Amino acid sequence: MTTYDLTLKVHRYDPDRDKSWVQTYQLTAGRILRFVDLLRKINDEQDPTLAWGSSCEHGQCGTCSMKINGKPLLACELLVENAVAQFGTTTFTLEPLGVAPVVRDLVIDTEKAYFRLDKVKPYIIRPKAQPGEGKEHLVDPKSLERYVTATRCINCFCCTEACIASHHNFLGPNAMLATIVRLMDDREEEKEERLKCLYSNEGVYRCHSSRACSHVCPKGIDVAHYIALAKAGAF
Amino acid sequence: MADRFKIRSTVKCDVLIIGAGGAGLRCAAEILERRPGARIIALTKVSHPQKSHTATAQGGLAAVDPRDPNDANIFHMFDTWKGSDCTADQNVVRKICESAWEQIIWLENRGMHFSRDPQGKLSKRTFGGHTRNFGEASAFRAVFEADRTGKGIMDTGWGECLKRGIHFIHQTVAVELLIEDRHCAGCIAFQQKNGTFVQILAKATVFASGGSGQVFKVTTNCRQNTGDGLALVMEAGLPVMDPEAVQFHPTGIVGPGILASETLRSVGGILRNKDEEPFMAKYAPKMKELAPRDLVARAIESEIREGRGVMNPDHQIQHVWIDLRHLPAEVHERQIPEVVSFFKHYVNLDPRTQLCPVRPSNHYHMGGIPTNEFGEVQDAGQQIVDGLYAVGECAAASFHGFNRLGTNSILELITMGKHIGDRIIERLERESSVRSDIAPCRFQEKFAGYFAAGGADHIGQIRNILRAVMTEKVSVFRTEAGILEAIETLRELDERARKTKLTQQSTAMNQELVQRWELDNLLAVSMAICQAALHRKESRGAHFRDDFPTRNDAFQYHTLVSTTDEFGKVELGRREVDMTIFGAKGENYEKFGLIERKY
Ligand SMILES: Cc1cc2nc3c(=O)[nH]c(=O)nc-3n(C[C@H](O)[C@H](O)[C@H](O)COP(=O)(O)OP(=O)(O)OC[C@H]3O[C@@H](n4cnc5c(N)ncnc54)[C@H](O)[C@@H]3O)c2cc1C
Ligand code: SF4
Ligand code: SF4
Ligand code: FES
Repeated sequence: MTTYDLTLKVHRYDPDRDKSWVQTYQLTAGRILRFVDLLRKINDEQDPTLAWGSSCEHGQCGTCSMKINGKPLLACELLVENAVAQFGTTTFTLEPLGVAPVVRDLVIDTEKAYFRLDKVKPYIIRPKAQPGEGKEHLVDPKSLERYVTATRCINCFCCTEACIASHHNFLGPNAMLATIVRLMDDREEEKEERLKCLYSNEGVYRCHSSRACSHVCPKGIDVAHYIALAKAGAF
Repeated sequence: MADRFKIRSTVKCDVLIIGAGGAGLRCAAEILERRPGARIIALTKVSHPQKSHTATAQGGLAAVDPRDPNDANIFHMFDTWKGSDCTADQNVVRKICESAWEQIIWLENRGMHFSRDPQGKLSKRTFGGHTRNFGEASAFRAVFEADRTGKGIMDTGWGECLKRGIHFIHQTVAVELLIEDRHCAGCIAFQQKNGTFVQILAKATVFASGGSGQVFKVTTNCRQNTGDGLALVMEAGLPVMDPEAVQFHPTGIVGPGILASETLRSVGGILRNKDEEPFMAKYAPKMKELAPRDLVARAIESEIREGRGVMNPDHQIQHVWIDLRHLPAEVHERQIPEVVSFFKHYVNLDPRTQLCPVRPSNHYHMGGIPTNEFGEVQDAGQQIVDGLYAVGECAAASFHGFNRLGTNSILELITMGKHIGDRIIERLERESSVRSDIAPCRFQEKFAGYFAAGGADHIGQIRNILRAVMTEKVSVFRTEAGILEAIETLRELDERARKTKLTQQSTAMNQELVQRWELDNLLAVSMAICQAALHRKESRGAHFRDDFPTRNDAFQYHTLVSTTDEFGKVELGRREVDMTIFGAKGENYEKFGLIERKY
């Protein structure tokens, strides 16, 4: 059985004392344990006070995002042996995302990160008239194909973390994506308000096309492509 | 110190939703749409509603399209009844099946991104157990959004509620229901982020807190599914129904238990034991790998029990293999790409060239908080608890009886969510104020007790033992001796838990504190499962007793379990199964009698 001797340097924060520090944990782990398993192992064997977040633990909900050796990613999708290969080390630094204030240790105030989304109205603002009782709107699969990958977004905020512009005024790539989806969706009639939001001073013009968002997205969404479409005035 | 457990504030609202998953939000959306301005508070244990478990449902939701000349509601009802092993309630089955399509359209019109056929209409696919003409041929009845149907429901429900001004309280758990004389006035909630307690008073309270999968070591369920809802109602003196009805999916990916869909077997995947021998022919000579879920799960478990399983060294879990190596590249790329990517992501294997580790994984809790067809919660005497409703996986109306069909759960969320919304709207027209005279009586003592304990035990380790014993003794196979052993272990664990000291005194984002509280819930739910499983001396649906391997219709009723002051001592009751479709003696009524569950 292959095992790895790992060193995890975890950025911690104690709200009661308003104190931050980096704590080092040593542990031995099998090759296919995920980083969420490592955190649980630390809780069970060494330190029950270390706080971290997860929910689905299989890449479907975006709760466990954090920075590992500087890269925003989902801790439930990172296996020990892949991490060692990818980063070329057995020492890992774990930090919370910077997109919202830290509550404790690796847990951030996700609700505040979501304020960015709430601003772009992630729903149909003004729906097209219902096509008749018991009937769906017809949506051409070819037209759906153009934006369907964007609907895979789980709002993990990895892209927003990676996007330098998002740390200032920009609402961020995933918020832009949410509004772009509804611009491409024929069932939304309120295009004007959406365009206003897209081209506002918190909108796509803040993006400087670094493509970091596409690079880190765990769902493989080419976020920068959609933003480039918006910047080119495709809608 | 005791100050920490004081109620910081009291808020009043029209409707309190405990659990902002698919079910809770569908209910809230209905009320907000039809009664704009209604004040609704929704609690969610996760960091944001979108992170709820519903977001992981993959396959689809069943609904008969009235335009489909080959399908009919009565066939969907029959499949559900048969699948349930004659323990679904027929009034509920009728209600859900008949309103299914309307609810699909509700979602579509509000922007869910369903997959489409070439004409632009909703695509449909077939699922195990869904047939037309009473079992004659497969029905194409499940609509879906690629492999993320649940996420589509979650996103739509969340969006609609946001649009219409719901008030969410995130990362917050209900810790005590305010109930007196069969009336519910709201709950006490613990806000994890700042570690404070609030009292929420409502004209109507809806439990929608989801499943209880964390009772078992290997589960497809998310980390927060610790059966809180069931534990809270039992604490409030109410029963749970059919807790022994727990479904296991045959192929969870080792170790975390992530669901590897049935498709793997339907495209030709072969199950092999540690000697790489195919073994399904031994258990189901004709159907082999295509046998129903529970049969396959028992076959795998038998191989493991008889020493032909393989131990995964990293997760310390026994499994068998699924062999997909012989399938053409096209199948890998086109028919099973998601599952193939799961194996790559979570076990770092390439299913094209390597055997993949799978084992039965806990999947769904059919049992739950007993309600009538309007979602109104019932007490042990089947009287309604005024102002309290339950919906979704935490509830048992019961649509699934002892075995749920794939795609029927998320259908239940959106249909029952809507119906309960209707019922609450009527209630809001009657009730002009909340009741503020029901005082909490348990949570302070409980939380103070957690902090007062002084022993050196460890909550995480106690939880791990609980999950292991439930998996070994009370999952796919059950026997009297095994269940009794589990009950004994649970008693010991309860004792140990009571003595365990918390490492940290703060209440703010104290994960260990929440886990301590969850442990009580896991213990209570596990005990209810054990006691009901012990009582039910027959095999029915997903409940399989090795010592009573066949169905015995003397047990064709719902089990009600109420707890007493002594941990482990329960009171059992029964509720008759509603058979109104059969009783009405209409066309095809005989299909709704005590039929065999044979496929
Ligand atoms: C991998 C997987 C695939 C599935 N695929 C399908 C499928 O294809 N078709 C199908 O029909 N079904 C499927 N299911 C089943 C289905 O997803 C669930 O049964 C369903 O989503 C449950 O929804 P819910 O709204 O009842 O609960 P959830 O979505 O779990 O929501 C519960 C909510 O309650 C909150 N909560 C929990 N406890 C508390 C508390 N104490 N206080 C306050 N809030 C609380 C949670 O945070 C959450 O917001 C699948 C399940 C899994 C695991
Ligand atoms: S491409 Fe634009 S949105 Fe994406 S990371 Fe770069 S600046 Fe941000
Ligand atoms: S676009 Fe990708 S990285 Fe960004 S929030 Fe969505 S899933 Fe995460
Ligand atoms: S916990 Fe859901 S994505 Fe990692």
